[in-house]
Amino acid sequence: MTAPAIEHATFVIERELPASPRDAFRFWSDPRLKQRWIVCHPDWTVLEEHFDFRAGGSESKRWRTPEGAEQSYRAAYLDVVPGQRILYAYEMGFGGQRISASLVTVEFVPAGAGTLLRFTEQVALLDGSGVQGRRIGTETGLDRLAEQFQAVQPS
Amino acid sequence: METTQRPLDLLFTALADPNRRAMVEQLSRGPATVKQLAEPAGLRLPSAVKHLQVLEHGGIVVSEKAGRSRTYRMRPGAFRQIDDWVRQREAAMEAAFDRLVQAMHDIPPEDDTP
Repeated sequence: MTAPAIEHATFVIERELPASPRDAFRFWSDPRLKQRWIVCHPDWTVLEEHFDFRAGGSESKRWRTPEGAEQSYRAAYLDVVPGQRILYAYEMGFGGQRISASLVTVEFVPAGAGTLLRFTEQVALLDGSGVQGRRIGTETGLDRLAEQFQAVQPS
Repeated sequence: METTQRPLDLLFTALADPNRRAMVEQLSRGPATVKQLAEPAGLRLPSAVKHLQVLEHGGIVVSEKAGRSRTYRMRPGAFRQIDDWVRQREAAMEAAFDRLVQAMHDIPPEDDTP
């Protein structure tokens, strides 16, 4: 057996937000405000929750999925400048196995009366042959091929 | 390292046949010998070998000979999992940022003029 390959990728999402960088920042630093928008899974049972937002602080969450598997998120805040930027590293685990590790940079850029949010994630995807990988295996690959095919078809 | 993409038409040719797609599904669960691939498809060995050569030529699988049997496996990176991971993550974050914009509309900025 060959060792599973580690794959790397970087992606950037930009979004215009309707208020100042200072206001936008609150929605990351205040757990009650963050709760309103962050990715959540209502069907997962929360087992553990911890939120310590400051440079050097950490955030972690553990859930049990309806299938009974344990899913975990653990982040370390590396750099926090209110109203300007947040840098954090996080890892995702599934069934006690680490799936990915990422470095995330969130930038708040003043844009008129609002804010340009720039979210950059640099990820190392671990253990490509693991449980998670099997779930998004070939079928997704074939789906993607079909999409690409449709995209190049003349309309 | 690969510097060029496999031509898409080779890939499509390789996947155009239901027997070959079934082989790809099987190999995505783990490596298999020609015999192991031929049996569930109800193919004779020479016919299975022909199909597998098309898949190999299309860059989807690789093979290696050990003793008298040849074992096939998915070529690493044939369908890159990282692409799927990034697409799912991007979609999740886009949806989250939709909710963020909505939440910012719902909750007015604090009146803390400097």
